[in-house]
Amino acid sequence: MRELTFRVQRYLPGRDGKPYVQEFIVPLREGMTVLDGLIYIKENIDNTLSYRSSCRMGICGSCGMFINRFPRLACHTPVEELGTDTIEVRSLPNFPVIRDLVADLDPLFEKHKSVKPYIVSSEIEEAERPTGELLQSSEELESYAQFSYCVKCGLCLSACPTVATDPLFLGPQSLGQAYRYSADTRDTGAKERFKEADCRHGVWLCHLAGACSEACPKGVDPALAIQLLKRAMLFDILRIGKAKQLAPIAQSPAESKPKIDVPEFTVAQP
Amino acid sequence: MRESHLKILQYATGVGLFFLVGTHLTVSLLIGGEPTSWESVSGRAASAAWLTVYILLLMFGLYHGIHGLRTVILELPIPKPAARVMDGALVVIGIAIFSYAAYIPISAF
Repeated sequence: MRELTFRVQRYLPGRDGKPYVQEFIVPLREGMTVLDGLIYIKENIDNTLSYRSSCRMGICGSCGMFINRFPRLACHTPVEELGTDTIEVRSLPNFPVIRDLVADLDPLFEKHKSVKPYIVSSEIEEAERPTGELLQSSEELESYAQFSYCVKCGLCLSACPTVATDPLFLGPQSLGQAYRYSADTRDTGAKERFKEADCRHGVWLCHLAGACSEACPKGVDPALAIQLLKRAMLFDILRIGKAKQLAPIAQSPAESKPKIDVPEFTVAQP
Repeated sequence: MRESHLKILQYATGVGLFFLVGTHLTVSLLIGGEPTSWESVSGRAASAAWLTVYILLLMFGLYHGIHGLRTVILELPIPKPAARVMDGALVVIGIAIFSYAAYIPISAF
């Protein structure tokens, strides 16, 4: 049976002065992912190995690791795709290490929170007690849908060379989400996000390396989002470009004219 | 000024430099005559249009270059107070160089 060599970063604060590499021999099974290998190590060889995982299907973003010198989701990386029998696994670069393969993702979440990653509505009464749905065309949805696939795995910040030199740089994840919400026709908080992104460690530090888009496991293309954010910010300052049409509230069925003949309601309507 | 405003000026001076340097090179090298001859230089020095071109070239080039240097330095993880001092120093250096360099063509006019 073919065997793989897993070279895994180990580090226990308080015991180890610095991270070191430990090797494990793992039997290859068909369809095996890097996460399967780590689970095998933990269950059969060394149960002190620490790592994050949850969904094991590439949707939660928990198992982000530096695998063979590239940030990847361990559950989403078949070992056969790596093309080698030696698998090097380290914790994500550009993040402090908590233990072994577990990185401290607090910087990611703090930066994410700073750009107000939620719909900001100027109609507070309507937002708190909605009277109807907000209508959005398919074109308006497509303008930001791709960027909404982000699972906050942190691989983009790990890959970003600007984050490596300036840890305070907001990073592709938060800047991408700043654009995602600013482009949403249900949102009126673009100016607040522009102000946040327009700082010394903000959007203008991005030089379009593109490593974030290459690393993203969900096809978000944060590099594109950042360039679109730059354009939106410049257009806002220069007061050029088409103004965003805010999403209207859908009429209630009682107010709108039915397109087809429908029978009368048999229950009382509000 | 916000970083976006500085960036807009960077882009604008870049475009401006394209035309100003192009004009300077075209007239200096492509139109007949020896551009460094006494007659040619003193002729340009006495021209209001050329004075304007040179002052704008100086202004745009200084801003574009100094802001570019600032961008490179800010890539480094320097503390906020040091960054502020650097900003102030670059402004002072830029104004000093502009004042000295602009004095020459203005005094020759």
